[in-house]
Amino acid sequence: MISQRSALLSGFSASLPIAMGYFPISFSFGVAATQGGFSVIEAFSLSLIIYAGASQFLALALLTSGAPLLVSAFTLIAMNLRHVLYGPALMREAGKDASTRYAWAWAFGLTDEVFGQALGALSCGQRFSEPYMFGLGIGAYASWLSGTAVGAFAGGGALDAWPAISAGLGFMLPALFLALLLSILSRRQLPVIAVAGAVTVAATLAIGGTSGILLGMLAGAVTGVLRR
Amino acid sequence: MNADLLIVALLAGAANWAFRALPILLRTDRMALGGWLERFLSATGPAAIATLFVASILPALTPDLIRLLPLITGISAVLGGWLATRSVALATLAGAIAHGATVWMIG
Repeated sequence: MISQRSALLSGFSASLPIAMGYFPISFSFGVAATQGGFSVIEAFSLSLIIYAGASQFLALALLTSGAPLLVSAFTLIAMNLRHVLYGPALMREAGKDASTRYAWAWAFGLTDEVFGQALGALSCGQRFSEPYMFGLGIGAYASWLSGTAVGAFAGGGALDAWPAISAGLGFMLPALFLALLLSILSRRQLPVIAVAGAVTVAATLAIGGTSGILLGMLAGAVTGVLRR
Repeated sequence: MNADLLIVALLAGAANWAFRALPILLRTDRMALGGWLERFLSATGPAAIATLFVASILPALTPDLIRLLPLITGISAVLGGWLATRSVALATLAGAIAHGATVWMIG
């Protein structure tokens, strides 16, 4: 059995691709926040408290456009409703006896990417451990916060002179999602994946990005229910 | 610090914590095992990852083949990296490097 310390380090090292993908995104957020008139402290606080990329960019747009407070808050909350599905899906894979003693702390870091990485590790036969979840979450969260801070200090156009690096870093998250998809791919899950992808495209084009993600996810999960 | 911003951040942050942590703390995955909920939950993970991948590449899709090239090389490198190493981290890095290098080459 691996020790808690090595599980923590293993989780931290597994967070590296996520951290490398998060940094440029949170950097962009820091830049956008200061360009929108927010201070470095305010930009950093949004990342510290909300810790959800798309929501934070939307928060900037809503707050700078003068949207009512409650409308802004409920819009942001609705955007992250999909996260309700992650915990149960992860714990189902972890097994009935998996400890959740410290879930109140590590689960705050259960973002899309952290969930995907953790699920991929479990699918590859790794045992669930809370220190691993802490390591995975801390690496991603630290990158998110440091990227925001650096971006807010740097201001606009900091990566403009390095378009190839900017593009490569920007592709890190799509690449990670694809690699995670490959790691959990099985014949049994193909209909789920195909339906989720097709509905995401259709709903994104017909309604919008956030609805596309939520509907795609639900359609895929419902396909799993209907499957014999 | 702007009070409106702080209130919105605290409400959204509290909801995020609740969405992510409460279903785990309540162990909702243990309910109705063997039934439709089990099939729903086991399909949620692959569905979520497929959805997030599709949503992340959708904005980059274009009929312009030259502008599409970094996406093609990036995806090909992830597939090749995965087949060669079976490592999520190495496949991801291969994709990002191929994507960035293609952007650099086409200018």
